[in-house]
Amino acid sequence: MSDLDQAIEQLRSCRPIPESQVRELCYKARELLIEEGNVVGVDAPVTICGDIHGQFHDLMELFRVGGDVPETNYLFMGDFVDRGFYSLESFLLLLCLKVRYPDRITLIRGNHESRQITTVYGFYDECVRKYGSATVWRYCCDVFDYLALGALVTGASTNLESTGAEYADPSQAHTIPSEDEDNEIEILNSNGHIVSRFLRTQPSHEPPSDPDSTSSPKPDSTRSPSPLSAAQPSHTPSATGAPGTSATSSSNGSSASNSGAVLCVHGGLSPLVDTIDKIRLLDRKQEVPHEGAMCDLLWSDPDEIDGWGLSPRGAGFLFGCDIVKVFNQKNDLSLIARAHQLVMEGFKEMFDSTIVTVWSAPNYCYRCGNVAAILELGEDGSNAGFTPRTNGDVGRFTGALGPGPGLKAPDAGMQRPGPGRRYRVFDAAPQDSRGMPAKKPVADYFL
Amino acid sequence: MALAPPPPANDRKRVKVYELKSNDWFDRGTGFCTGSLVNDEARIHVQSEDEPVRTLLETKIGRDEGYQKQQDTLIVWTETNGTDMALSFQEAEGCGAIWEFVSDAQQRLGGGPAADDGLSDEAIETFQPITLPDPPQMENLQEIENIMRAANSTAQGREALAKAVMAAEYIHKLVPFVEIAEREQSLADLHRLCNIMKILVLLNDTAMIELAVTDDVIFGVVGAFEYDPDFPSHKANHRQYLADETRFKEVVPFDDPNVKRKIHHTYRLQYLKDVVLARILDDTTFTVLNGLIFFHQVDIVQHLQGNVPFLKELFGIFAPQETDQQRKKDGVAFIQQCCALAKSLQPQARNALYNNFINGGLFNVITFALRHQDASVRVAGTDILVALIDHDAPLIRNHIFKAVNENTKPLTDTLIELLLVEVDVGVKAQIADAIKVLLDPNANGPSLEALARGNNEYMAKFRGGPMHMPPTEMFIQRFYDDSARRLFQALKDLEHRQSMDNLNVQEVLLFSHLVEILSFFLRQHAFRSKQFILQELLACRVAQLMACPEKHLKLTALKYFRTCIGLKDEYYNKQIIQHHLFEPILNIVFETKPKDNLLNSACLEMFETIRRENMKSLVVHLVENYRDRLQALDYVETFPALVLKYDQYNQIADQNEPLLNHDQSFTSTETETPNRNIVNGGMRWQGLKDHDPEEDAYFNGPDNEEEANAPATAKAPTNGVSPQRPLVNYPDDEDELPDLPTDPTTTSPPADSTATSPPSDSPSPSTSARSPAPLPSTKIAEKRRREDEDDDELGKLSAHPKRRNSSGQPGAEPPAAHQPPHGHMLRRKRSIQAGKDPTGKKIAISLAMKGDANGKDGA
Repeated sequence: MSDLDQAIEQLRSCRPIPESQVRELCYKARELLIEEGNVVGVDAPVTICGDIHGQFHDLMELFRVGGDVPETNYLFMGDFVDRGFYSLESFLLLLCLKVRYPDRITLIRGNHESRQITTVYGFYDECVRKYGSATVWRYCCDVFDYLALGALVTGASTNLESTGAEYADPSQAHTIPSEDEDNEIEILNSNGHIVSRFLRTQPSHEPPSDPDSTSSPKPDSTRSPSPLSAAQPSHTPSATGAPGTSATSSSNGSSASNSGAVLCVHGGLSPLVDTIDKIRLLDRKQEVPHEGAMCDLLWSDPDEIDGWGLSPRGAGFLFGCDIVKVFNQKNDLSLIARAHQLVMEGFKEMFDSTIVTVWSAPNYCYRCGNVAAILELGEDGSNAGFTPRTNGDVGRFTGALGPGPGLKAPDAGMQRPGPGRRYRVFDAAPQDSRGMPAKKPVADYFL
Repeated sequence: MALAPPPPANDRKRVKVYELKSNDWFDRGTGFCTGSLVNDEARIHVQSEDEPVRTLLETKIGRDEGYQKQQDTLIVWTETNGTDMALSFQEAEGCGAIWEFVSDAQQRLGGGPAADDGLSDEAIETFQPITLPDPPQMENLQEIENIMRAANSTAQGREALAKAVMAAEYIHKLVPFVEIAEREQSLADLHRLCNIMKILVLLNDTAMIELAVTDDVIFGVVGAFEYDPDFPSHKANHRQYLADETRFKEVVPFDDPNVKRKIHHTYRLQYLKDVVLARILDDTTFTVLNGLIFFHQVDIVQHLQGNVPFLKELFGIFAPQETDQQRKKDGVAFIQQCCALAKSLQPQARNALYNNFINGGLFNVITFALRHQDASVRVAGTDILVALIDHDAPLIRNHIFKAVNENTKPLTDTLIELLLVEVDVGVKAQIADAIKVLLDPNANGPSLEALARGNNEYMAKFRGGPMHMPPTEMFIQRFYDDSARRLFQALKDLEHRQSMDNLNVQEVLLFSHLVEILSFFLRQHAFRSKQFILQELLACRVAQLMACPEKHLKLTALKYFRTCIGLKDEYYNKQIIQHHLFEPILNIVFETKPKDNLLNSACLEMFETIRRENMKSLVVHLVENYRDRLQALDYVETFPALVLKYDQYNQIADQNEPLLNHDQSFTSTETETPNRNIVNGGMRWQGLKDHDPEEDAYFNGPDNEEEANAPATAKAPTNGVSPQRPLVNYPDDEDELPDLPTDPTTTSPPADSTATSPPSDSPSPSTSARSPAPLPSTKIAEKRRREDEDDDELGKLSAHPKRRNSSGQPGAEPPAAHQPPHGHMLRRKRSIQAGKDPTGKKIAISLAMKGDANGKDGA
C-alpha cells in the first residue's frame, strides 16, 4: 500500500495525518492544481456537490450515497472547511483523493478557502489545536490559492439513464412517471429509492411561483427535517417542476440528447465577467480579494431581482433571472450549478431551472435541521464520447475579449435543454457511526 | 403615573465600553458613565476620558435589551440593533449605581400601564414561581426535567427557573445523582440528568454558568453531559479529561489562590465551549461563554503584569543559572499565551503589560526562542515578536536602534540570518512574515494615539525625543543602508548562476520568500526600496527565476513583475525594458500556450493589464521588440490587441494630432490618475500636450534602448535616483483627511442610485460603490438580521484584524485595508488603495490630491 493510500485510509477514519505528510500532500496537490485552468473542464458523468464545511461524517455519508471515489466522478464546489469540527480531515481527505485520482475528482474554490475567512470561522483554530502551530494551516491556505475558480461540465445527457431503482413508496409508484418517459429530474433518497420524477414539459405551464424563494434560507433549527415532503408526488406527475426546483419550463422536448454545458462555481456570476473565457484572464493565485471578478465568482448569490444588486454579505453581488439567462445564452450553457447558500431541501432550482443551488452539508452546523443533496449528471452516449470543451482547447470562443465567429448569435428566447438531473438527497450521518462531534480541546494551559 | 427613577448620583464613574464583534469584545474606549433622564427617557451616556467632547456611548434603556450585571463590575446588554455591548466599571460601586438606575428604568418600562394599578414588580416576578421538587430524588428526575422544559419555553419561565435553581442551590443537589445513576447503571436517569443540565446551561444565566465550573460541581455537570441521549451508544470522557492536572502548566507558581482558581475556571469554560457544548451551543450561549472567558482572561493578565515578584521569577527562568530546559520552553509558551491574550486588552493595559515584560527582559526571551533548536519554540518566538510589533512597532524599532548603537546584534539581523538558514518550513514562513511586519511602514501599532494621550514618560524616553527623524522612516532607511543587502544577497548571487535547473528544495523555498518579501517592499517602501532595487538590479535576478522548472516559483517571480507594473512607475518600467525582462515572461506564455493553466492565466492577466491600463512605454517596447511573437499568440485577443494599440499610437503620431482625443481608454486612464502620472515624472507621453516632437523622435528612433531613454533622462536627470525623492511626504500616515468618517454608523451607504443601478455595463461605478468595505455594512446589518444569521459576511471579517500579516502573499490585498473602520485604519486603507489600485478609485484620488502632488509615492 502506498503512502498515499495509507494516508487516505487514516483520514477516512477521521484521524489527521502527520505534519510532514500534509506538507508532501500539499506540494503534490499544488503541482496538479497549477496545471488546471481557472475554469477546469470536466466531462460528464459527474456528481456535483456543494458545501461540506468540515462535517466529516456527513462527507462519508455523501460518499456512501453517491458512490465511492474513483467509481464515481466528483466535483466539489468549495467550502470544504470552517464551521464543522473536522475541516482538516475533510479537506485533507478530498485533497488526498485529488492527488490519488486527479481525473476523478475536481475541487474548486469557495469563499471559505481563504486566509481571512478561516481565521474567523474555525479552520485556523482547528489546525492550531490539532498540530500545535499554524504551519499546517499555512500549507492548506497555500493550496487554496491554487484551486480553480470554476468548472465547466460538458457532455451531459439530457436524458436520465435508468438506474432500475425501486420506489421509496411503492404504493405511490403509479403517480410517478415511468422511467421510459422523458424525465428531466429524478429525486432519490439516501437509500437510492426513487422519491419522484419530473417530466420534461413544454413551456406552457408557468412554474409555480414560490414567494419564499427570494429570501435566502435561514438556518432554522425548529424546522422539522422533512425535506422530501415538498417533493412527495401528491400532485399530478405532469405538473411543472419539483417543488424546490421550479423546474422545467424550459426545454424544447427531448430532441437533443446533448445538453449545453454546465458551469459550476461556488457563488455565482460577476458583472465583470460576461463570458466564461474572461475568467481565464484572472490571476487566481492570490487570497480571495474583496472585490472584482474573482471575488464575485465566490461570493455572489442569485436573487429574485432585476439585474444586479448589492449583496448583504458585503462581497459579491446579487443577480437576477435576466442576468442568468443572458449569460447562459451567451456562453451556450444550459445550467449554472452553484453552492454557497443553505437550502433546507438540499437543492433549489431557480429562474426556470437555469441555475441550481446544491448544498451538501446536512444538519448544517449540527443544528440547522436541513437535508443535503448532490447532483448527478449523466453521460451523453449519443456522440461516442466526443465532448466539446472550452478548457485547454482553443477556439470554443475565438478570443477572450468578446464573442468571435465561434460564438453563435444567441437566439432570442431560446434556451438550451437542461441536462437530466438526478438529485440524491441525504440526511446527516447516523449518530451511531460517530462519536459526539466536538472540537479538539486546548491541550495544555498556562493561563 | 409611575415616579421616574432618580438618576444615579453622577459622580463620574470610570468605565470601559466594549462592543462584541465577531465574538471578540472590541474596546471602544474609556470614559465616564452617567445615567440621565431626558424627556422621561432613561439613558446611559459615556463620555470619552481623553476627549470629553467625544461620546463613546449613548443609549436609551429599553425593555427588551436584556441588561445583565455580571461579576460586580460588568453590565452587558444587547442594543435594539442587535449589537452586544458591555460596560466594565472600574469600581463595583459605580457599577452598582448604574445597575440600579438601569433596573429602575426597566422596571418602570416593564410595568408599563400596569404599574398604575399599584401592582409592584415583585408581585409580577413571583406571579408564576417555579417550584421544583426539593430535594430532588432519583424518582422525580423525569418530573424535574418536565418542569424545566415547560419553564424553558417562555422568557419569564426561563428567568424564574434560573432564579429558582440558583436560590435552592439546585445544581449542587443534582450532581450527586450522576454517580448514583452510574452505580445503578441507569442510563435513562443519566440521560435525564444530561437533559436537565442542557436546559440549565442554555438558560444563558451567567451566574449559573460561573457556578457550573466551580470545583464543587464541575465534575457532576460534565459527568451528566457524558451521557447524551442524542448519542445513546456513546459515553464521553469529559471528567477524565478535566481531571488530568498535568494539563495545567504552572511555570511560575501563582501565589494568589483567586487567580489560580480563575485560571482553572477559564479553562473549564473553554472546554465547555469547545467540547461539551460545541454541538448544541446557540449564539447567545456562545456569546455568554466567550464574554466570561474574555473577562476572566483580562483579570488574570492584569493581575500578573502588576505582580513584580512573579515577573521576576518568570524572566529569571531564562537566566543562565536555570538549567531546566523544559522549564525554559514552558516559559516561552507561557509568555506566548500572555501576548496572545494581550491582543484583546485595551491599549493602555496592553502597554503596561509589555512595559513590564520588556523591563523583565522580553527581548532576550525572543532572541532565546528564535535560536532554540526546537521548531515549536522558534514558532513561539516569532509569535511573540509579531504580537509585539503589532502592538507597537516603533517601540521595537527603537530597541533595534539601541542595539545598533551599542554594537550588539540587532533583531533585524537575527531575523535575516534565521530566514536564510531556517529549514523548518513553517518557522521560515513565520520569520518571513515577521520581517515584513517589522518593516511595514503602516505597522505603527494602534496604541500610538493612546500613548500620546497617556503621556507615558517611560515610553517617550524609550522612543527618543521629538528631534529625531520619524523613527519608521529612519528605520527603513537604515535597513536599506545595511541589512537589505544581506537579506537579498542570495538573490543577487544568482547573477553568476548559469542554470536554474538545479535549485535544491531549500533554495526554492528561500527564493520564494525573498521574492515575496521583495514584492512587499516594492509596494510598501516606495522610493527607498526603489533605489535599492534599481541599483542592485534585483529585477533581473527575479527574472532569472522564471527559467526554473518549479512552476510555483515561476509564478512568484511573475507576481513580482505584476506588482512592479501595477505601480505604474516609469523607473521600474524602464528597467524592465532595458533588460528585456519581458522575454522570460513571453517564454512562459509560449511554453504554456494554448493550455489553459494557472501560469498561462497569470501571464495573460499581466498583458491584459498593460493593454487595459494603456501602459504606453510597455506597449511600445513589447511591440517593437516582439512583434512577431505577439502576433503568433493569436489564441487570445490580448496580444493582437497590444499590436493594434501600438499601431494606433503610430498612426496618431504620424498624423501629428493632439493626443487629447485619439484613444478613449487612454484619456480615461489619464483622467483617473492624473497626479500620479505627472509627479512620477517618467510618463512623458501623458504630460503636456505639445510634446509631439519628443514623441516622434521616440517612436521613429532606433530600437536602441539607450536612445529611447534619452528623453526621459533629460526630464529626470538623475535617472532612478531622484534627489527630490526625499522631499516626498512619506509615509503618508499624516496624509489624512480630517473629515473622513470614523464611525461606521455615520458612514452613509452609497447613494441609492448606485445600489440599484446595474453595474453590468460599467464596472467602475459598482466597484467604487463597494470599495470601502465598511460602507455597505450598515445595510448588511439590517438585512442580515432579517435573513440569515449564520451566513458568512465579509463585514464580520473587517472586525477581525488578527494575523493580518500572515498571508505571505504578494498578491494578497494588504489585509490592513479591511480593518475596522476606526479613523486611522480607514485612513490607512485608503492610502494603500491609492497606491495599489491603478483603476483609480475616486476616494484614492482625492486623497492623493489633497495635500499636494507629494502624496504620490507615499502609498
